[in-house]
Formats: sequence, structure tokens, C-alpha cells
Amino acid sequence: MAASHSPPELAVSAVNPASLLRIGVDKPSRFAHWQATLGDPDFARWLAGFAPTHFYVGSEFCEHLLPGAKVLKKAVDHARDLNLPIALLTPIASPQVIRTLADLLPCLPEGCEVIANDWGVAHFVRERFPALRLVAGRILCRMQKDPRLGQSNLPAQCDFDPGPLRTMFSRLGVCRMEIDVPLSVNDNTFSTLPTHTSIHVPFSCVAKGRMCRIGSLAIQGSERFAVGRKCRKECLKVSARLERPATSDAFSAYQLGNTIVCRHSREMLGFVMTAVERGLISRLVVPGEAI
Amino acid sequence: MKIVAPVASMEEVKALSRAGAREFYCGFVPDAWIEKFGVLNANRRPSGNFRSHAELEQAIRIAHQNDCSMSLVLNAQSYTNDQLTALVTLAELFRDMGGDALIVSDLGLIGELVGHVPSLRIHVSSVATCRNGSAARLCRDLGASRLILPRDITIGEAREISAETPDLEIETFILNDGCIFEEGACATVHLPRNLGGPICMDNFVNHYSRRGGGSLKESILDKLQENDREYNQWLWYRFSCGFKTTETGMPFGPCGLCALPALLESRITAVKIAGREAPLARKLASVQMVRSVLDRIEAGYDAEQIMQFAKELRPSVESCNKGYMCYYPEVLKR
Repeated sequence: MAASHSPPELAVSAVNPASLLRIGVDKPSRFAHWQATLGDPDFARWLAGFAPTHFYVGSEFCEHLLPGAKVLKKAVDHARDLNLPIALLTPIASPQVIRTLADLLPCLPEGCEVIANDWGVAHFVRERFPALRLVAGRILCRMQKDPRLGQSNLPAQCDFDPGPLRTMFSRLGVCRMEIDVPLSVNDNTFSTLPTHTSIHVPFSCVAKGRMCRIGSLAIQGSERFAVGRKCRKECLKVSARLERPATSDAFSAYQLGNTIVCRHSREMLGFVMTAVERGLISRLVVPGEAI
Repeated sequence: MKIVAPVASMEEVKALSRAGAREFYCGFVPDAWIEKFGVLNANRRPSGNFRSHAELEQAIRIAHQNDCSMSLVLNAQSYTNDQLTALVTLAELFRDMGGDALIVSDLGLIGELVGHVPSLRIHVSSVATCRNGSAARLCRDLGASRLILPRDITIGEAREISAETPDLEIETFILNDGCIFEEGACATVHLPRNLGGPICMDNFVNHYSRRGGGSLKESILDKLQENDREYNQWLWYRFSCGFKTTETGMPFGPCGLCALPALLESRITAVKIAGREAPLARKLASVQMVRSVLDRIEAGYDAEQIMQFAKELRPSVESCNKGYMCYYPEVLKR
């Protein structure tokens, strides 16, 4: 880490707030946690150099994984004890999610961040809870991230261009945005981003459905694989590594509930680490639960 | 209720309007776009687009002669800032040709378009993934006349959104689109088939494991395998039962015909037939199917009679009963 720059903020995200409490306070225990959670010793060692600064609770991807009010209140108390700000992760929203948020958002202290991945959620927060800070999640900050493309000959849509989002950010008072590492990442990627940009590592969100294969495990009949059904949250216990037989894809892909994620290549993480050393990344966001 | 159909040529406009479509949507990728950006991504489809200014202008004229309207799709998942500027120019060109509406996926672009081409209606694309009342109100406030709901919604949700925004038209899917992931949350490209095709049709094998380590019990693995087999069957239905049609072009696969009475009750303004790249026979049969069901609703058939009629159209009774072809499988429970 270069001494001339402040270290980046480090947000740790989790569906279950208890997962966040397992991260140790010293570097060796943080290393152990990150190694167990992310399965990459080199990256874990590097990440352990930073202390968590934010707790993210909830889900960017699934309406069934929002916490209940009781759990959220407990998470707020834990975060307060640790003197860390808490933020609520929210997914693309059905009408029911908006109703749920009407109950959840009053649990958040003023000034907390809400990570919105749905323009309707952003609009709702701005209208009804103006004291909360709005962050545009990575589903709103779109770019192409198909892991099957590799990292050569990428189309323009694999670059992230924040320009088109400015109008909506300004209208809704969005104060920060979050992105995945672009497939086309290079030395200049992070220097051209607005200051208040968070970078997710070490997994990108590739594609998210509302239908959930593993969430249909316990459902029988015509509504299996349909949307808007109850869910037993099997995804919290089981995930799948995805393999394309007879191909040699550069990225490891996983199915996590309704979402395909892919792990950043070593080269991509290298660009992130260099950008952090140069003080170009203000916040990293890391999953606090093992994939 | 209007039937919204895809077109890619003048001939299709004529044939589909006669079959009962009232609105058309199309892609237009002029040479200038390709010269500047080198890609066909103005609207997510590499084919099925108008390429000639004159042909699109003529298609709009034919649509108007048949009391139909024409919308232009500007609905990529994401654009660069330069592309947004080019889209405004494209919209002006479309207005000058006599076009009626723009189907827009980027909410930030709506304000620009309202300012530059106020005479054109704005329909918010399903790619914007707006599927709650708050998002609908935002779209309306931005200047949109219509919201096209994403595929993966329930009738109850559509009804609720429609009730919350009575001054915004609501359109829902009715036939043919089989994507597995939410369009606005899918950051992939439709690769050529030999490279894997769309990611939801790619040949992925799932290797399950317990999150955080440890092995899964045999009984769980068995259940997961059974679930995968069922999922693959569901995929087959979702992708048009192996992309089958009847001899007259009637498509199997994603369908909401039985839900039309409920969608009408929910004040849904229009229903969308997907498939810009499909052959005319399939488009024509799709419009005829929807029209024939709507005709019977207008003639006073009740919901049960409509369901019976819809199932016997292809016929697809057995497949229909499975529920995997249904956009709105909840209707089977009524």
C-alpha cells in the first residue's frame, strides 16, 4: 500500500448479518477469514491489510433474502457496537418488496446507505426516506460481463461508461455507485471513474433471474420454476460451480441462487490492487459469505 | 386491448395488420450507426432490423394506412454516452419518417427524448426491468406513456402496478419470449451457437457443493439431480418446446393466452408478441392466436371457456397442463 494515499473503505456484504461478526479485528484473523471465504490465499492476504469500514446487509439479487425487521434491527445494533456504518442491500423489486422496504427502512439510522438495484426502489427511498443516502447498485450500473468472452476483442459495451447514468443520479440524489470490474479493465479504467465509485471484488454478477432453479427444489406442479412463489432459501447452503464441457473458459463461473457470478481473473485483480495503491478506488465491496 | 407485434419488413406489416395486430415494433440500424460504432447493438439484435431508411418509412406508411402504429426499439442493456447522443439523432430520424413511439430501456434517455422529439410517445422497455408501482410512477413522471412489464411477473403484480398508475398504459408479454434471466440484469451476449449461444441455453454442467465447505448428503444430491432434470424439461418448454411450431406456424412455448381475461380485468392496455427475428409464418400465427382468443372474450366466453379454447388452438392440452409453457401459471389453479 502506498503511504501517500488513504486506504480504501472496505464494505463487507452478507445476507446473514451474523457472518459479518466472524471477521477478526487483527490481520491474521482477517486473513484466515478471507482465505476460508474467498478461497484465494494471495487475494486474502492482500485484503487482510484493510479493516472493514462498512457492513452491507441484505441482497442485491433476490427478493426472498431481504432481512426481516427484527434481524435488521439486530444488525444495526451490532454495527453500532463495532462503530461501523450499516447499509441495506436491495434487489430488483416486486410490489411486495416495496411494501417490505416500507417496514424495513425506518429501522435504519439517518444517513445510512441504501444500495438500490431498482429505479423504483431508488425513487421510493428518495420520496419516502430522504434522510437515507442512495447508492446505485451494480445491477443499475450496467455493462457487458459475459465470462465466456475472455478478455480480448471485447465490444464497447464491456467498458463501463458512467455518463448515461448522470441524469438519473442527479434526479434521484444518488451519492455513490457500485460496479463490477469491467472485463476490459486496464490501467486507465479506475482513473476515469467518478470519485464515489465502489468496486466489487472478487466476483462479478453476470446474469440474474427472478426464477430460481435451486429455489424450486421443494416446489411441485405447474408453478415450479415460476416467479413470485415461496422459497426455502436453499441457496444459502448450496451453490454450484458451472462448467462448460470441452471449453477452456478463462473465468470460473458459479450459480448462486438465481444469479450467475464469475470470479475475476488474477490479471483483473492485479489492476484493482494497483488502482488501490494509486488511491484511485474509494471503496471495495467484498462478499462476507463463502460462495 | 392492443396486440403488439414485431416486424422486420414492409410485407410483414401488411400481413400482420390484416391478422389483427394494432401496433408494431421494429429495430433500425442505419449504416451511420455501424460506421460510428462498428456494432449492431442499437437494440440488442444483430438481425431482424430494418437497415434501409426508405423501407422503414414505407413500413410506417403501410402501418398507418391500416390504422396501426409503429414503434422503434432503442433497448440495449447499456449504451455509452456517445451512443446515447446517436440514439437521439436516430429518434429524430424516426420522427421525420412519421414514426409513432420509441421503446426505451435507459431511463436517463427518456428526458432527452422528451426534449428532442416531444411528438413521439415513449414506451419504457421491459429491459428497464421496472416491475413495481414506484418504478411505474417514476417512468410516468419522466414522460413515458407506457410501461412494458418484464416477463417474470404475476398477474396480481401487473394488476397492482396498473392500479397504482392509472394514467400510464401497461403492456405485458403474451407469446414467444423465453429468456431465463431478467433482461435488464443479464450482462451477457448472445454468442453464435457454436460458441455457446445465449448463456441460458449454453451447455453448463452444475457441480453442486455445500457453501463454505463440507460435502452434501446423497439424499440432497439426489434431489438436486431430480431438480436439474425437471429444470431441463422446463427449459425445453420455455424454449418453445424445442422451437416447434405447428404446420401453420403456431408456436409452442411461452404463452399467456389463458391469462387474457385476467389481464383485461387488470386494465392491461396491450400484449406483446416477442420475436423480431422470427419468420413471418410464426409471427402471423402468433397474432392470429391472440386475436382469436380476444375475439372470443369479446363474444362473451367466460374464463374457463377461454382456457379450453386456448389449449385446443395448437392443440397443446398436454403441454399446457404441465404449466411450464405458461407466463402466468397461476391461472391453471383457478
